[in-house]
Amino acid sequence: MNAIEVRNLGKSYWLQGSEPQTLVGMLTRGLRHRQRKLIWALNDVSFDIRQGETIGIIGPNGSGKSSTLGLIAGTTVPTTGTITARGRICSLLELGAGFHSELTGRENIFLNGAILGIPRETIRRRFDAIVDFAGIRDFLDMPVKFYSSGMYVRLGFSIAVEMDPDILLIDEVLAVGDVAFQIKCLARIRDFQRRGKTLVIVSHALETVEKFCNRAFLLHQGRLVAQGEPPEVILTYLKSYMGEGSAVHTVEYGSRDAEIAGVRFLNAAGRESGAFETGKPMTVEIHYQANKRIEQPVFGFAIKTGNGLFVFGSNTQVAGFSIPAIEGPGVIRLMIDPMTLMEGNFFLSLSIHSWDHTIQYHRREDWYPFVITHAVGALGLFHLNARWDIN
Amino acid sequence: MSVFADILDRRELLYNLVVRNLKSRYKDSVLGFLWSIITPLFMALIYLVFLRILARGIPMEEILIGVFAWQFTAQCVGNGLTTITDNSNLVKKVYFPRIILPLATTFSNLVTFLLSLVVQFALVAIILAFRGQHLSAAVLAVPLLIVYHTLFCLALTLFLSCLNVYFRDIEHLVNVLTTAWFFLSPAMYSMALVHDLAARYALPALSSLYMLNPMAIIITGYRALILPDASFPWSPSVLAAGALPILFLIAAYILFQKLQRSFSDFF
Repeated sequence: MNAIEVRNLGKSYWLQGSEPQTLVGMLTRGLRHRQRKLIWALNDVSFDIRQGETIGIIGPNGSGKSSTLGLIAGTTVPTTGTITARGRICSLLELGAGFHSELTGRENIFLNGAILGIPRETIRRRFDAIVDFAGIRDFLDMPVKFYSSGMYVRLGFSIAVEMDPDILLIDEVLAVGDVAFQIKCLARIRDFQRRGKTLVIVSHALETVEKFCNRAFLLHQGRLVAQGEPPEVILTYLKSYMGEGSAVHTVEYGSRDAEIAGVRFLNAAGRESGAFETGKPMTVEIHYQANKRIEQPVFGFAIKTGNGLFVFGSNTQVAGFSIPAIEGPGVIRLMIDPMTLMEGNFFLSLSIHSWDHTIQYHRREDWYPFVITHAVGALGLFHLNARWDIN
Repeated sequence: MSVFADILDRRELLYNLVVRNLKSRYKDSVLGFLWSIITPLFMALIYLVFLRILARGIPMEEILIGVFAWQFTAQCVGNGLTTITDNSNLVKKVYFPRIILPLATTFSNLVTFLLSLVVQFALVAIILAFRGQHLSAAVLAVPLLIVYHTLFCLALTLFLSCLNVYFRDIEHLVNVLTTAWFFLSPAMYSMALVHDLAARYALPALSSLYMLNPMAIIITGYRALILPDASFPWSPSVLAAGALPILFLIAAYILFQKLQRSFSDFF
């Protein structure tokens, strides 16, 4: 059975310019002949979501992900098309959106519960569980304006999950609070899945989509451009809309005497992929083209996190892998085995330069995105080879 | 009708929002709720002194009734304007029948008004007692007039709250118009003044025109019900004017429901 059916969904906005709308502005608009522009945030989108499925919606900024959730939640009304949703919908669109800063945590629990449509009786019964889950017992009778932002979202999440919705909409809110709270949140999400609830998750954290979702939707400029198994859709996303010149922070330069012609990421099975697992090998196949004979070239790589943190960098010179000369096309393989990075979005930079570093032939920074997921219980950025011993 | 079912369904939300409005309004002030009594009392006192200086005698109890009633309407205009815009976070993020918000604003102002009425009745009774008079027996009908007054306030709140989403400069316009409206309403004078003016300038239609202002009907109504020697100027034209707030409520409701569909597109 379908929990959500969307047919030819479209949502347009009038782009009003930067000035706020005013009555005076409206009356004088005719005089100024200002052109208003119609923007389609979503255009002719159709999909079905079966009951019990977990769907991840991914796409670049401004592709219509949040608009889609807003339309399913009913906070905005479609311009064209229809949405049919079966069951009670709860949206974790912004945690603590309904909090009133002057009221205490205790008062806000009841207020927020009422906003989300949770019966007062349920809140009263589950009050202690909510407070403990959020870990704010000592601050219960303090106005929430004195709460830290972490306490704020923790309380928001704790109340929201007390709703027992049939369809749960989540917009970028899984990464709230500290690591310990995140684990609790993810456990709740798993619990929802086990009980056969339908989840729709919007996330930039591709590893979350890879880990949690049965299917992924890729939106681009308001259109649904791909749907299917998360690894495939993520790969499409990475190849089409990130890296290779389209991501924001990429840099490319060099003399182009030798060029990086193409790059393929291969997983443990030797298949092309965008997502890799901690502990398994990752192979990067670099197809180069040397436009003239180059003696002793150096191939380098660097890895940064999605937030720009420099994680690791090395090259063939440092690794003691000497290449006498290159000329014409060729393939060089970078093998990382085992992958010791933990989950997240990462960017690979590649370079070809001369032995003495004076000539950059071709350099592409933050050009190739990839995703790491992990199944082990450990946490952090790196998987360290740690052991225990007791005497 | 489905809107009543919606409201009934979300009555807990309505209740919680009313409580929130009342709590947050007085949370950080030392005198708290007392302000909603002190404000109209001060207003009444100022007008009383000022009008005595101008040598236009008007009974103190009439001013008290007028100013307290006006205060309810003025608060609904003030809070009504920002009812949706102040809750833009909620409107954007969570779905619930939007009409709950103006209802909550009106009801929280009603609660304040009812509490202030206790003080008003006590003061009026004391003033009358000094003259050896009592409250009119018709005072028992005041609750009906409060319902009528509340429906009018709800209409104002519905109308202003949804317009303010679309035109943010309406606030300034409303502030100017509210001041003018106050002087066009018999809050600090009585209907006798209007009749005097009508007689002096030989404009008998002035009195009827004046009653087109719903606040003229409401304030005159309160005085007629509470005071023993005040009367309500019943006439077919006044009866017809009395239907205006109800028509306004229906129009404001239709406008609100039409505009609320795209509220979240404006935040």
